[in-house]
Amino acid sequence: MTGLAKNVWVSPDLPGFDAILDSLPDPVLLLEAQGAILWCNTAANRAFEQVDPSLPVSAIFPRLTQSLPAVTAPVHLQLESGHQKFEATLTRLDANFIILTARAPQSTSLTRDDVDELTGAAKRNALMRAIDGELAGARQFAVHCIDLDRFKVINDTLGHGVGDLLLQKVADRLKSACRAGDMVARLGGDEFVILQRDVPSSEEAERLSARIVDLVGRTYVLSGHTINIGASVGVALREERQQARDLLRDADLALYEAKRAGKGRFRVFEPDMQVSLRERRELEIDLRRALALRQFRLNYQPFVELEGNNIRGFEALLRWQHPVRGNVPPLDFIPMAEETGLIVKIGEWVLRTACEAAVSWPENLTIAVNVSPLQFKSDNLLDTVEATLKETGLAANRLELEITESALLDDTENVLATLHALRGLGVKISMDDFGTGYSSLSYLQKFPFDKIKIDRSFVVGESSDSQAILKAVAGLGSSLGIAITAEGVETSDQLEHIRSQNCTHVQGYFTGRPMNDAAVADLLQSQMRKNTNA
Amino acid sequence: MPDALYQLVYYSRNHIAGDQAAFTANVENILAASRRNNVRDGITGALLFNNGCFAQVLEGPLGVVEAAFERIQQDERHGEVSLLALSPIETRSFPNWAMGYVGSSAAQAASFSAIGQGSGFDLSLLGSEEIHRILRDLAVEEESAAA
Repeated sequence: MTGLAKNVWVSPDLPGFDAILDSLPDPVLLLEAQGAILWCNTAANRAFEQVDPSLPVSAIFPRLTQSLPAVTAPVHLQLESGHQKFEATLTRLDANFIILTARAPQSTSLTRDDVDELTGAAKRNALMRAIDGELAGARQFAVHCIDLDRFKVINDTLGHGVGDLLLQKVADRLKSACRAGDMVARLGGDEFVILQRDVPSSEEAERLSARIVDLVGRTYVLSGHTINIGASVGVALREERQQARDLLRDADLALYEAKRAGKGRFRVFEPDMQVSLRERRELEIDLRRALALRQFRLNYQPFVELEGNNIRGFEALLRWQHPVRGNVPPLDFIPMAEETGLIVKIGEWVLRTACEAAVSWPENLTIAVNVSPLQFKSDNLLDTVEATLKETGLAANRLELEITESALLDDTENVLATLHALRGLGVKISMDDFGTGYSSLSYLQKFPFDKIKIDRSFVVGESSDSQAILKAVAGLGSSLGIAITAEGVETSDQLEHIRSQNCTHVQGYFTGRPMNDAAVADLLQSQMRKNTNA
Repeated sequence: MPDALYQLVYYSRNHIAGDQAAFTANVENILAASRRNNVRDGITGALLFNNGCFAQVLEGPLGVVEAAFERIQQDERHGEVSLLALSPIETRSFPNWAMGYVGSSAAQAASFSAIGQGSGFDLSLLGSEEIHRILRDLAVEEESAAA
C-alpha cells in the first residue's frame, strides 16, 4: 500500500486536493493555530450557516471550549452549530495548522407514529427498535431510566397546561444533555428513557446520568412560575445482556434504588440490587399474608399523667410475629406496608383490635392508635372509625388517634377536613413524633390538637439544644392548652427533669414497657387493688 | 401576560476549565451570543463575573426572558444555578445594555474589592437586590465614563 500511494502522488492526471476534499460528504475545516478559519470544503459550506475565511471557528461552534493550542493528539468533541449537533475531531497538522472534521449524526429514522406529539421524544416502540438495533451490533451502550420527582404535585397544583409545558422543557433538556446519536424517549407520564450509544466505559454513562440529574433539577421558569423538580435516574450498561427488556428492567431496578436512596440522584445497576429486590418481594408476599394468618399482635404501652401519677391510657403498638423471620421490627415492615398500600387494611385491623381491648378497661382509660398518612388518603378513614366505634361499643372520647406531620404535608385541606370530622365524633387527635420532621408551628395553628407527643430524642438528649427544644415545645403546649407527652422516658432522672418542664404526660420504659393484653389486665387489676386499699 | 415586562436575577458557578485565555474567550462568546439574541428579543441586562461565580440580570417581555433563561440553564459552562428573583417591573434598569459585562476592567475590579474586601467575596452570599444594585451602579458609572 505504501508503495502504491507514493507512486500515485507523482501521477500527473490526479485531481487536486481541493477536489478530493470537496467530494467528501462531511465538513472539513482548516484552521490556523489560534482558530481562524483558513479554508473549508463544500460540505462545510452546506452544513454551516456562515463560513467566512478569517472568522474564528467559534463563530460556527459557539460552545467550542477546547483550547486549540493545547491540541496535540486528535480530540473528539460533541459540537453544536445552529440547532444541529455534530461529532467533531480536531487533528493537529503541524505547528501552524489544525484540521477540524465534523460529522452529522446518523439520522435515526423515525416516522410520525414513533414520535410523542407533546415532547418530540421517541415513543416506546421506537425505543425498543433502537435498543434491538444496538443489541445487533457490537458496541457498548447504556440505557437510562428517568423519573421526575415532584412532577405530580406540579401537575396537580399548577394544572395540566403547566405540566405539559414542563414535560416539553424536560425533554429539551434531556436532548441537550445527549450526544447526536443518542435517543430520548418518553414512555408516558413523567417517565423518560435515554438510549446512550457508543459508551466505552461506565464512567461515560455515569457522566450522562449525573448531567441529567443536574440539568433536569435546575429551576424552570414557566408562564411566570418558578418551578423546581428533580430527576432520579437508573442506568444499566449493555454488558452481556441479550434482550432489550432485561436492560430496561435492570435500569428500572437501579432507578428504584435511586428513589429509595432519596431521589434527585442516579444509581448504576448492580447485581446486588436483584437480591435486595427479591428480598423485598419475599417480604411483601409474607406481609400480604400476615393479616390472614393472624401474625400481627398488639402490645400496649401505658402513658402516665404527671399530676397524680396515674395511668391515663395505653398506646397500641403493632408487632409482627413471623414463624420464620421471628419478630419483625416495625421499621422493617411499615415502610413496605405503606409502599404497597397494605397499611390501610392493617390499620383497620389495629383500630378494631385496640378498641375491642379498650372496651374491657376502666372507663377513664383511653386507647391511642397510630394512623398512617396513607389511611387519610384512602378516603374511608372517617367511616372506618365511626363503624369501629359502633361495632366495639367504645365511647368516642376514649379513642385517641395519633398522626404525624407527614399526614398534613400533602392534600392538607382534605386531611384537615377529615380531622375535624373525626373530632366531631368525639375522638381525640394528637400530633406524634413532634420535632423529628418539619415541626412546623403552622400545623399547630391549623388544627387544635388535643396532645403533642415530643419525640424521644429530645427527652433523652442531654445537649442544651434538645433541652431548649423540649422546654420550648412544652411551654408552647401549656400556653395553647394542649397536653404534652414526653416520649421515651427511661430513667428517674429524666422523669424528674420532665416534671420540671411543662409536660403533662410521660410514656416510656421507666413508666411502663409495651405489654400484651394479658399483662395489661394484670397491671390494671393490681392498680385497682392498690387504689381500693389506699 | 407573555408581553409583560419582567426582571430575572440568578447566580451560578463557573464550570469553564482552563486558563485565563480560555475563560476570556468563553465569556466573549457568551456575551457575543447573548447580545445577538438579546437585541433580537428585546432583552436588556448585565452579566457579572467574579470569583468563580456568574450573576446576571435579564429584563424584557416574560416570554423571551423565560426562553433566554432556559437556554442559560442548558449551558454546560456553569452550574448550581440559583434563581434569585423573577418579578414584574415597570421600567428597565439597563435600558441601553443588550448585555453589559462587569468583571473585566481595572476600575470594575476596584469596585469589587470595595464590595467584597478582596478574597472572601462570594456572589452566592448576595441577594437579588444587592446584585441588581451592584450591576446598576456599575452600569451608571460605565455610562457616565463613556459620556
